[in-house]
Amino acid sequence: MATEDARYRQSSQFRLWSFSPSQLGAMREKANLLARASISERLLSAPRSNSASAPTSNANTPDADGTSTLPEFLTPSEEALLVTFYTSELLRAGDHAEMADEIKATAAAFFRRFYITNSIMTYPPQEMLIVALFFGCKAEGSFPRITDFVKNFGRESPEEVLAGEFLLCQGIRFAFDVKHPFRALRGAVMDLRRIGDIEHTRIDSAERRAREILRFSPLITDAYFHYTPSQIMLAALSLADRGLAERLIQETFHFVHPQPNSGAGTPMATDTPSASSLPDSDIATIIGPVIRDKVLGTVEACRDMLSKEPPERREHWSSKVTYKAQLQPIRKKLNKCRDPDRWNLVELQRSRREQVLNKSGGGSDDGGSAAGPAGPSKDDDVFGGDIKRRKVAKGAMDDPFGGAL
Amino acid sequence: MAVSPLIVHPTEGTLLPSRPLSSPLKRQQQATHSAVASSNGTPALARPPGQDLQAGLGMSLDLVEQMNEDEKRKYVKGRKLGEGTYANVYLGHARHDPAVRVAIKKIKVQKEFRDGLAPDAVRELKHLQELHHPNIINLLSVFSSKDQNLNLVLEYLPLGDLEELIRDVDHVRYGAADIKAWMGMLTRAVWFCHDNCVLHRDIKPNNLLIAADGEVKLADFGLARSFADPGRKMTANVITRWYRPPELLFGARHYSGAVDVWSVGLVFAELVIRAPFLPGNSEVEQIALICRQIGTPTDDNWPGVTQLKEYTVPSDVTPVWDKSAYMGRFGAVGAEGVDLLMRTLALDPRKRITAREMLEHRWWRTEPRPTRKEELPRKQDGGEDKMGSDLKRRNGVVEDENNNNARGAKVARKLDFGATK
Repeated sequence: MATEDARYRQSSQFRLWSFSPSQLGAMREKANLLARASISERLLSAPRSNSASAPTSNANTPDADGTSTLPEFLTPSEEALLVTFYTSELLRAGDHAEMADEIKATAAAFFRRFYITNSIMTYPPQEMLIVALFFGCKAEGSFPRITDFVKNFGRESPEEVLAGEFLLCQGIRFAFDVKHPFRALRGAVMDLRRIGDIEHTRIDSAERRAREILRFSPLITDAYFHYTPSQIMLAALSLADRGLAERLIQETFHFVHPQPNSGAGTPMATDTPSASSLPDSDIATIIGPVIRDKVLGTVEACRDMLSKEPPERREHWSSKVTYKAQLQPIRKKLNKCRDPDRWNLVELQRSRREQVLNKSGGGSDDGGSAAGPAGPSKDDDVFGGDIKRRKVAKGAMDDPFGGAL
Repeated sequence: MAVSPLIVHPTEGTLLPSRPLSSPLKRQQQATHSAVASSNGTPALARPPGQDLQAGLGMSLDLVEQMNEDEKRKYVKGRKLGEGTYANVYLGHARHDPAVRVAIKKIKVQKEFRDGLAPDAVRELKHLQELHHPNIINLLSVFSSKDQNLNLVLEYLPLGDLEELIRDVDHVRYGAADIKAWMGMLTRAVWFCHDNCVLHRDIKPNNLLIAADGEVKLADFGLARSFADPGRKMTANVITRWYRPPELLFGARHYSGAVDVWSVGLVFAELVIRAPFLPGNSEVEQIALICRQIGTPTDDNWPGVTQLKEYTVPSDVTPVWDKSAYMGRFGAVGAEGVDLLMRTLALDPRKRITAREMLEHRWWRTEPRPTRKEELPRKQDGGEDKMGSDLKRRNGVVEDENNNNARGAKVARKLDFGATK
């Protein structure tokens, strides 16, 4: 655990949510395929008369005589376009509710993480983005009342948001800590000021622009999946003022053998406890030219990614023209191919809870027993421990894989 | 601490290609970083879709649900160790190896909390997912049951907690070397939290659980939070009263790791005298005790303290106790130990020693050497049930960052000091 790198590799952001572009592409493709398969299955197996939770759209139901026609599904790239669009909507909604930068950024990360293993055809993005904002507040340590929260978005009922919360938590693998580049930028500004020969007005305007970029570009692209917060910060700084970013990297990756009596390397390098506790040869490697060039290359690649969605693109995404030309056709397609069982979050939660109730009708070996014979409560346990009951409850509809073991 | 670009170290450039992960399922198996191998994870995609479907309901599992299911199946839940309002705790073991025991903490849907997942659960999960250290309770896995209850799979810590050892004066004997060992483990845990920009905010002896090998583990992160940026308001209403530092009692809305260090100091004192050092029955009494036993905070010993919103102290000012006074009560840990204790109990949080400085203190290097963890005194029985009650407990104080409900009560106490004499 010596270096901050080692520390970063322990974070859930790295362990669970960092991917190469090809990994990410493969996962999205898999989610798309899986959604197609299960939606097809559900559409074909659900008789149109009694599928209570099916959407009102009739375009995806089988013909009257039962010969089914499946809708055309979204492609992975269409899904990606919609996720990007709804991420921009999320940021707009967060601005509207005057949320802190960290909250909006965390919510955006949650939203995009959720749609890596879930298809946008399965769960409704315009609901999930509100859920992500709500849970983003919580993850960042503020716990708004749900009724107040939904009013920000002109809603009366908190039901949908609450129904989606657990779904979101599960979709983000219960990893609630998102590491952002905002603090890194503050650190970079301090380091730049310390160099001494750079005009403060230049640093200030670069900081302003970089911050503006960080509030949009990395959040709406895949940057968080591919790069560390410090790399993203350097890329944004480079877009704001390439000279400053390169200067910072040069100053950082610049090893001077310490004088025997002065003990000082570069002024900045001596400040890092992790570096100073290492032998000189290691430090020389870490801040030597090889690593420097590697960092420059990585930052350049991240810069390319961010430059595709500069802050000015906010208007692009919110414009009616864009919506009509690019998004509306896909939305229409989506209306026909969305998941009949899962699109309605409130219904979905209700039916799940009913299943739990039906299933644990025989009483539970914990929780419920304390509540007396009044019947099972929501707190009843439904896994482990109750193997026997599972076996008895044959044909339990909600547990397709049968009991444990 | 600002994250500066200096942090860019060699591996970051090669970070992505170095990991041979391909599918989310595989990733999940590796990421559980537990002693439990995912021998039984059935790949979701291998299952023909629809095979399990019952017509009409159509509740087949999607990818995430399947991952959750796989995670759940790695563990077998056993008997209940404890039941509380916030959570139930069960003994469990790994399905593939019954010798690998775990504690499963099932967080209940809280009926009185209408705003979704409760703050305690959000905080605890957020921080335990990130903090992996020998002296911090290890989160092995998380999964949900179908009724949307969260289940935290934690390492099993069978030997109770530090509070039990402290209190059991008749059966448990320990000395300075043992205290040094326990304090060392506690200090490393707190240093690690702070180094990761996390405040624990509820350090006390019964949140210090003991593993089978004697290792002390800091548990219960239900009140923890990340460091706040300058200028952000934080709640002052955290940390169980006896361990709460003066700045919080005076209503400071921005504070640092120093709050945890104060609590560590009081655990230290309690280990020595085998009773809580400052057991106030109310906030008023807590402040009075601090003034009497440590010294009255004034602008002289703590510049600016009188500006804190809730600053009120008994009128008879007690000077800060000097070393000889501490030696009288805490001399069992030697002069160096007393020096460390006094630094953790500095009234002014800016002068209080940091967790990192604590680790660099001379006490650790003076005789006696800390006892090896395997040789530390331990309780003989009842540990299982104790872990149950330790984990199911609600936190000492629960209040969110924006809630000011407790303010009224604090104002009221200003009128009330006379009563504590």
